[in-house]
Amino acid sequence: MIEELIDVLLLVALLLVALQVIGSRGLLAAIMTFGAFSLVCAGLFITLDAVDVAFTEAAVGAGVATLLMLAALRRCGGEPEESPRVHWGGLVTVLVLGGLLVWGIRDLPPVGLADNPAHEHVAPRYLEQSGTEIGIPNVVTSVLASYRGFDTLGEVVVIFTAGLGVWLLLSGRRPEEEE
Amino acid sequence: MILSHAQVLVVALPLLAVPICALLPGRRLPGVFATLVAWAVLALALLLMQEVSAAGVLRYQLGGWAPPWGIEYRLDRLAALVQLLLALIAAVVLPYAARSLSDEVGERSGGAFAALLLLLTGLLGIVATGDAFNVFVFLEISSLASYTLIALGRRRRALVASFRYLILGTVGATFFLIGLGLLYALTGTLNMDDLAARMPPLAGSPAATTALFFIVVGLGLKAAMFPLHQWLPDAYAEAPPAVSAFMAATSTKVALYALARFLFGVFGLQQLTEVPMLQEGLQWLAVAGMLGGSILALRAADIGRILALSSVAQVGYILLGFALLSTAGVAAGLVHLFNHALMKGALFLALGAMIHRCGGGELARLEGVGHRMPWTMAAFMVGALSLIGVPLTAGFVGKWYLVSAVIDQSAWWLVAAILVSSILSVFYLWRIVEVAYRRPAVMPPRAEAPLILLLPTMLLALANLLVGLNSSPLVSWAEAASLSLLGTGS
Amino acid sequence: MIDLGLYNYWIVIALMMSGLYALIARGNLIRKLIGLNIFQASVFLLYISVGFVRDGAAPILAPDVESYSNPLPHVLILTAIVVGVATTALGLALAVRIHGAYGSIDDDVLDRQRD
Repeated sequence: MIEELIDVLLLVALLLVALQVIGSRGLLAAIMTFGAFSLVCAGLFITLDAVDVAFTEAAVGAGVATLLMLAALRRCGGEPEESPRVHWGGLVTVLVLGGLLVWGIRDLPPVGLADNPAHEHVAPRYLEQSGTEIGIPNVVTSVLASYRGFDTLGEVVVIFTAGLGVWLLLSGRRPEEEE
Repeated sequence: MILSHAQVLVVALPLLAVPICALLPGRRLPGVFATLVAWAVLALALLLMQEVSAAGVLRYQLGGWAPPWGIEYRLDRLAALVQLLLALIAAVVLPYAARSLSDEVGERSGGAFAALLLLLTGLLGIVATGDAFNVFVFLEISSLASYTLIALGRRRRALVASFRYLILGTVGATFFLIGLGLLYALTGTLNMDDLAARMPPLAGSPAATTALFFIVVGLGLKAAMFPLHQWLPDAYAEAPPAVSAFMAATSTKVALYALARFLFGVFGLQQLTEVPMLQEGLQWLAVAGMLGGSILALRAADIGRILALSSVAQVGYILLGFALLSTAGVAAGLVHLFNHALMKGALFLALGAMIHRCGGGELARLEGVGHRMPWTMAAFMVGALSLIGVPLTAGFVGKWYLVSAVIDQSAWWLVAAILVSSILSVFYLWRIVEVAYRRPAVMPPRAEAPLILLLPTMLLALANLLVGLNSSPLVSWAEAASLSLLGTGS
Repeated sequence: MIDLGLYNYWIVIALMMSGLYALIARGNLIRKLIGLNIFQASVFLLYISVGFVRDGAAPILAPDVESYSNPLPHVLILTAIVVGVATTALGLALAVRIHGAYGSIDDDVLDRQRD
C-alpha cells in the first residue's frame, strides 16, 4: 500500500521535474534541474527494487552527466537562448509516437505481477541457481559479471570509445578555430 | 585451437588491437598496424565462410553459458556473407586510409586508427551475435566510433554533421531499445532464436506490432532509410574521405542486415503478413527512398553529397527486396547489399583520391579531373556504371534479380519505380562525368593519385567487374541465406 | 491494495515524449542533449517497471525471501546508463568544439552558416 503510494507520487514528481527541466529559463537552471531529475529517477529505481541501478543512476546521471554538462556550459555558455516556441512538427511526431505506444502498451500485462512472461523465462534460472553456480548473493552482479559478462565487456569498450573520442576532439590541432 | 574460436576471434582481434594502435607513435605506423589487423580479420572471415558453407550454422557460447541464459554467437550464411563483406572492405580501405587518413589527422593518427578499428569491431559484433541486447551494445560501439571519425573531417561543418548524427543515431538506438523492451516484456528472453520461437502466438498483437515499429524505425535511422536519412549526406560529405568510403560501404549495410535479421529471423513471415499495411508501407518507403534520394542527388553541388544521396536511393532498392517478403526478394536485396558496398566503396575511394589532389569535392573544383587523373576517373566510371546497373557490372546483377523478384509478384509499379530511379542515376552521375572531362581554360598538369590510393580504388572497381562477369557464387550464396532465413525462422 | 495496472507505463510514455519533444524543438545543443537524456532515462524506467515484481525483494539472495524482482532488466539498464553517459560526454565534447569553431551552439544559427 505504502509502496504503491510512493511509486505513484514519485512518478508524478518525476514528470513534473522533467517538464520543469524542459521549460526552465537559462541553461544553468536546466542542468541543475536535470540533476534533480536523475535523483528522483534513482529514488524510483529503489522503490522498484532496482538498487544497483539506483546507485548507478545517482552516481552517473545526477553526478557525472550533470558535472560534464556544467563543464561544457563553462566553455560554451553565455549565448542568449531563443525563447521557446511551439514546434508543430515535433509536437505531431511526439503525439503520433506516444499514441502508438499507448496502443501497444495497453496490450502488456500489468506491472508487478509475479507470473508475467518476463518473470517466467530465463530470469528464474538466475534467481534459483546463481547462488550455487556463481556463489555471490547479488544476482544482478552474477548476471552482469558472468552470464552476460560479454555485454559488460562491450560496456567497457563503449566507455573507452567515448573517452578516445573526447580526447581526439579536445586535443591536438584545431585549424578551423585558429582562423 | 584457433579454428574453434575463430568465430569470436574475428571480433576480438580488432578489439584487442585497439589499445595497441592508440599508443603507437607517429603518423604512418598506426595505419600500417591497422592494415595488418584488417588482413588477419579477412583471413579469419574467409576461414569462417568455409566452415559455414560446410556446417550451415556455427554457434559459440560466450563464457560457456548456454543460451538463452548466456550470450550466444551465431553465424549463419547471411551473417557470414556480411562479415566477409566487412572484412573485405576493411582490408581494402585500411591501406588507403594509412596514407589518406593519417595525412588528415597528423599526430592524432594513433587515436584515429584506433577509432576506425573500434568501428570495425562494433560492426563485426552486430553481425556475429545471436543476442538482441548485445546488438544494441555493439551498435553503440560502432556509432560512437563513427561520430568521432566524422568529426575529424577537415572542415568545421564536420563537427555539426557529427553532432546531428549523434543525436539522430542515439534516438535510433533508443527506439531499438524500446522495441526490445516490449519484446522482453512479452517473452522474457533476449536470444534471437528463442525470441523467434516465442513470437508466433503473439503475431499481430498490438504490443508485438508496436515493438516491430520501433525496431524498424530505430534500425531504419541507422540505415538511412528515407525519410530518416537527414544525417547521412552531411556526415558522408564532411568525414575524412577514407572514413566516408568505409562507412558508405559498411555502416548502412550492417543496419540493413540487422533489419533483415529482426524482420525475418525474429518476427518471422507469419507476423509480418499479419500486420496490416506493413508490406505496403515498407514498399512505399523503399520507393520514396529510390526516387527521393535520386532527385535530391540531382541538385547537390558536392560529389560526396551526390554519392551519399545516391546511397539513400540504393538503400531503397535493398529495402524493396526485403519488403517483397519473398525468398527471391530477400535474396535480391542481399545481392544488392553486397554489391552496393563494392560500388560505393570504389566511388568514395576514387573521390578521396581526387580530393587528395584537388583539395575538395565540390563539382566546380573538379573540372577536368578526368584528364588530370585518368586512372582514378576510370575507376570512378566503373563504379558509376555499376551504380546505374549497366550489364557486366555488379550493379546489374542486383537490379536484375530485384526486377525479376518484383515481376514474380506482378507489381508493375515497382518495376517502373526501379527504372525511373535508374534513369535518374544516369542524370546525376552524368553531372559528375561532364565536369570531369570538360577542359578548363587553364589545364593543370597531369597528376595521378599516389599508388597507395590508386591501387585499393582499382581493386574495388575491379571487384565490380568480377562480380558482374561471374555472379553465380554470390547469387547462390544469397539465395541459400535467404531460404534459411525465411524458411524456418531460425 | 491499490492495483496500479499499467500506471507506470503511462507516465513513462509521457516522459519519453517530453524528452523527445525537447530534443526536437530546442535549438541549443546542450538542451538537445538534456532532452536526449530524459528520453533515455524514461526508457530505463520502462525496463525497470517490466522487471518489477510486487511484494518481491531486490534480487539479492537471502535465506528467508521467497520472491524477487527480475534481475535481468537491471543488468541491461546498468549497461544502458553507462552507454548513455558515454554518448552524452561525446556530444558535449562536440558542442564545445562547435562553440570554438562557430561561436555558437544554437542549431538555428549553425543552419544559417553555409560552411
